[in-house]
Amino acid sequence: MSSDLGVSVCGAALTPYNRRKDGSNFRDWAFDAFEQALTLSTVELRDIDALFVSSESDFFTYQLNPASVLASDLGLRDVEILRCEGGGASGQLAVHAATRALQSGRVKHAAVVGVDPSASHLSAETMTSLYGYSFDAWTDGMTGLSSTALYALSFQTFRESCKVSDKDLAAIVIQNRSNALDNPNAHLGRTHTVDEIDQSPLIASPYRRLHCSPLSDGAAALILSHDTHKPQARRGAAKIAGIGSAVDTLHLGARADPGNFSAKTSAMNSACKEAAILPDTIEIAEIYDAYAGAQLQSIQALGLSESIIGDLNSGRFAPGGQCPINLSGGLLGQGAPVGATGVGQTATCALLVEGTYHPALQPDQPPRYALADTHGGICTTAAVTILKNGEVA
Amino acid sequence: MIPHDVRLTYSLSPGWMTPFVEGLSKGDAVARRCARCAFVSFPPIRTCECGTAEGNWVTLSGTADICFRTHGSAGDFALVAFDGADTKSVVRLEKFPLVQTAGKLLPQEIPLPALVLHPVKGDLPT
Repeated sequence: MSSDLGVSVCGAALTPYNRRKDGSNFRDWAFDAFEQALTLSTVELRDIDALFVSSESDFFTYQLNPASVLASDLGLRDVEILRCEGGGASGQLAVHAATRALQSGRVKHAAVVGVDPSASHLSAETMTSLYGYSFDAWTDGMTGLSSTALYALSFQTFRESCKVSDKDLAAIVIQNRSNALDNPNAHLGRTHTVDEIDQSPLIASPYRRLHCSPLSDGAAALILSHDTHKPQARRGAAKIAGIGSAVDTLHLGARADPGNFSAKTSAMNSACKEAAILPDTIEIAEIYDAYAGAQLQSIQALGLSESIIGDLNSGRFAPGGQCPINLSGGLLGQGAPVGATGVGQTATCALLVEGTYHPALQPDQPPRYALADTHGGICTTAAVTILKNGEVA
Repeated sequence: MIPHDVRLTYSLSPGWMTPFVEGLSKGDAVARRCARCAFVSFPPIRTCECGTAEGNWVTLSGTADICFRTHGSAGDFALVAFDGADTKSVVRLEKFPLVQTAGKLLPQEIPLPALVLHPVKGDLPT
């Protein structure tokens, strides 16, 4: 018998993820996402009694205390407010904080807004430098290490045991960016060839530019409601079945297996326990594919496959497969405005299980269970959310 | 878009990691040995996996073997095993031939305490 947390996703929306050149800024995108989510929810603005904001870094927004700014823009006064930050996991940590607030009974309707101007505010070189300090600034950061280099080292230890070929890595990129072609909000819907990927500039071996997710601008928002206050019009809304988060040892070299995302396994176990399901119950997933290899490492850590490369090549993770992964395009295809990423993944999963996602990507039979998976650092902070169809007992 | 230049000049204190940081500037690998289980971590871990925060500083030889390496636009980096350490370390490789698999920390002239591994002459495979 499965269970849920008594919290429904009554509103869910994402803005386009891309590089904005239209004069708008992160406050505009957050406003747009929130307004769309609120409209879908049918909840009145005055009934929102908490705001949870996810934004990875004030370096990106050029705004300290962004939650208060967004609260003012959104017209929220005298509500509970919290800004959540956990690197790439920030968005899902905000979802989790909101879920717990609703479960506690002190909040009836919570807004979750994730946003970051990861593409347009700072140069790529500056962003690369800042991300180098998102691990341990005193050890990894001081070497001039890039995020890509650290991921590359972790992936090399993983591929040694899982026998991942360059062709397998390319298959991830090709699938995710192909999915993104059907997502009108995606940053990088593309048709790539293996040769094109293999000939793209080397960033940190084995990762080439096309193996890496882009930095994007954008926002995502959710309206979460306690089930006892869920609007009648949204009785079919997706429900949050389980959440989990965990942290690993900070230093890659201090981990027993540097290629294993063990914090993700812990987070997934917690979420599955709450949902009273096993990982193989998951029918669709949005996975944190910051790099092509990270998707494979995540699939393994989440327990979604016993034969990752076999399942990859048999189409199990493709649209129409037994467990489609990153139908949105994932970070590789849809893009990555970091604070928005986890919120957007949860929104995507909620719409998929409700059966109202982008028509070209929506499975004919809405999945019963979906998984949204993020992490920060080199899977140092992991956070996952399991959603279920509102009709599932 | 409105161009806006911001410069930040930090004054950073290494805090509890001072022996590690000062060691790097001299080319020494100063590691942390747990007072309870003798686990040696480099870079140092403040609270050991056994749960103990008490530890001693020990100076390793500073030599390391490369386990995995990556090269690219930001330079060459590696996951290495320092002799005497129970953990591995991520380091920058400085002018490191592809065929060379071991190296050593050297005194640094730069103010930042970077983990940089240098090839050792005569260590090339024959």
